[in-house]
Amino acid sequence: MTLPLPEHDGGGRFPGQRSLEQRDHWDEATSSLILSRVGRPPDVCFFNAEEEGIASAMLDQLVGQEGEPRVPLVNVVDARLAAGETDGWRYADLPEDGEVWRRSVRYIDEDSRERYGVGFAKATPAQQEAVLEAVHGLEGQWHGMPAGHVWNLWLRYACTAFYAHPWAWDEIGFPGPAYPRGYSNLGVGRREHFEVRDARPGEQA
Amino acid sequence: MRSQNPLGTVNALRSVRARNESAWLLPVSSPDVAERMRSYADDDEVDLVIVGCGAGGSTLAQRLARQGWSIVVLEAGPFWEPERDWVSDEAGSHHLYWTEPRVIDGEDPVPLGSNNSGRGVGGSMVHFAGYAPRFHPSDFQTETLDGVGADWPLDYEDLRPYYEDMEEELPVAGQDWPWGEPHSYPHSPHPVGGNGEVFLRGAENCGIEARVGPVAISNGRFGHRRHCIYRGFCLQGCKVDAKASPLITHVPDAIAHGAEIRANSTAIRVDVDARTGLARGVHFVQGGVERFQRARIVAVAAYSIETPRLLLNSSSPRFPEGLCNDFDLVGRYLMVQGAPQTGGRFEDEVRMYKAPPPEVSSEQFYETDPSKPYKRGFSIQTVSPLPITWAEHVAAQGHWGRELRRRMTDYVHWACLGALCEFLPLPGNRVTLDAEKDRRGMPVAHVTYSRGGNDKRLMKAAQETMEQILRAAGAAEVMTIERYAHLVGGARMAADQEHGVVDADCRTFAVPNLFLTDGSVLPTQGSANPALTIMALAARTAARLAAGARQGVRRPTEASVQQSE
Repeated sequence: MTLPLPEHDGGGRFPGQRSLEQRDHWDEATSSLILSRVGRPPDVCFFNAEEEGIASAMLDQLVGQEGEPRVPLVNVVDARLAAGETDGWRYADLPEDGEVWRRSVRYIDEDSRERYGVGFAKATPAQQEAVLEAVHGLEGQWHGMPAGHVWNLWLRYACTAFYAHPWAWDEIGFPGPAYPRGYSNLGVGRREHFEVRDARPGEQA
Repeated sequence: MRSQNPLGTVNALRSVRARNESAWLLPVSSPDVAERMRSYADDDEVDLVIVGCGAGGSTLAQRLARQGWSIVVLEAGPFWEPERDWVSDEAGSHHLYWTEPRVIDGEDPVPLGSNNSGRGVGGSMVHFAGYAPRFHPSDFQTETLDGVGADWPLDYEDLRPYYEDMEEELPVAGQDWPWGEPHSYPHSPHPVGGNGEVFLRGAENCGIEARVGPVAISNGRFGHRRHCIYRGFCLQGCKVDAKASPLITHVPDAIAHGAEIRANSTAIRVDVDARTGLARGVHFVQGGVERFQRARIVAVAAYSIETPRLLLNSSSPRFPEGLCNDFDLVGRYLMVQGAPQTGGRFEDEVRMYKAPPPEVSSEQFYETDPSKPYKRGFSIQTVSPLPITWAEHVAAQGHWGRELRRRMTDYVHWACLGALCEFLPLPGNRVTLDAEKDRRGMPVAHVTYSRGGNDKRLMKAAQETMEQILRAAGAAEVMTIERYAHLVGGARMAADQEHGVVDADCRTFAVPNLFLTDGSVLPTQGSANPALTIMALAARTAARLAAGARQGVRRPTEASVQQSE
């Protein structure tokens, strides 16, 4: 499987990179964990149905996911929140992570309705992007919460869920787990046989 | 300087093994622990109960178990079985971190968890990068030399023999070290990957000295430890047993000498006898049930946040503001190092995820430079973020959505350096108890942090130097984020009780049989990763305790003097 990333967004730089094809070289504990990420996503249980729709659209926007297949971000984030799996700290001016997420989806939906007369989940991608960008650009409070701290929390959850997925690794040329095999070709410009050369190395970040 | 000839190596191995056989006792699997580890009853008054099985606690346990002391180590987290519990994966390593609730604030709130807080047998060293530098001699007297920070109640010379012992026991690999007190390392330097290559090239091009190491990853034969496979997942727990953590460097020998490592046991209060003023033991919760372990001596080694939290939560009529807190010092002078992280973009593929993130470092800017507008300095090291951490770096530049995604596809072209800036100890940076409680009903830690002016100037200088190095190596683009690394302080040592919680032997001034043997006792932090110094301090405390014999630490009470007459 390959995530649908257009070429102008960096798609297709590592043709043939398939970290999952290396699974026979992974240890058992790692292998079962990674394979669970491409298996059936966990059922949503922390968010209610309406929250799920909004959160899902939000998370997809935060990492630029459009079209299928996609990493089931809302399921992964929901499972974390249900298990109370935080990063081990919270800002004193924010409630617990789960509560921040509940409020966030409610307020994002309100922002969308106010701006475009349509709920966030049903807004167009461009509208969704604009609603989120408004929070991103905010210096002070957003619905009574410090916008910068809320944004930081959203991105942490979204990035962790997305870049834990083997399809996301394939898109950036990362070969995934490396135990017990390890690497033997260290150094600038050197690759293992299972690493794919960047097809467009001159593409500037 | 250590001998590097072959016969010298053999002799060195023999002497390490005579002192600490851990590497020859591996692997320690769960049947070994369940069937062979000694176990004490709560009613047994053990010689020593230690809270926390990380760098400080494990070292103390290993040293004193060898002296025949009966020891119980209470560890809040699990007894790891690396093959079963650890994975070659970023997100899947979440359980290695201390993720119980904590609240952060201040002008510069410091993220905790994966950034600096471990749990389980082995402590934070299970997920530390592996850098094991010594402090410099100047670190022990910054107040005298530079008019900032604080002088330690001991000198570099007091720690030197313990640094040397620990470097052999971890063991540490690296080139001959020219900074601080020049010294060599027992294992030769590891080969470097793309990121290390970039650092060495850039540094050379702009006249900055950089060296390979010092890294606590064995490089050559060392007991049953396997050789590093250069897979780059050092921060996710080393399944290979190549990178040091107390789980493999000190715990096996402690168990072999009769210590009990009691995992999944969270200390909630240190008990002090109101009549004698001595610690009697530790209350802890295991499996939801509160228990009490009696002990003749108590050592708390729960690190810079949990140690102050435990003391503050152990208040009594004698210590209404928290145990050992007569002078309002417990929790104060908490420190983190400023750790700006600079990425540099190269047309060639760097693939920094290959090889251990700790590869190359420079301490050229460690000491105070009178020509600079700041005191003290910084070190520079390779750091090699894996994809999730790198995404946070990119996101911290303000990128998100498709732009974040596009920039992430450039991952293999980036090299990354990190600095450690010596932030100064400030009384307002502290741990207090929050109104929020954890699932045991214990107040959670509230951590307040703000930088001072010197700190900000250091951070800026470190950023400029890293950008200079990466550009000199050929980077076409650089980007820096601000972050913080390592925790120390919070219950610092000093010459007297009005300036510190413990003395040079890590004994609390207020309770003669209570010790703090972890990073919380550091008065200053240098620009060095703290693990080696924490272990050396704990080994020194152990030596002092052993020399004084088990009775020696107790101050005779009036009652006992009368009885003996």
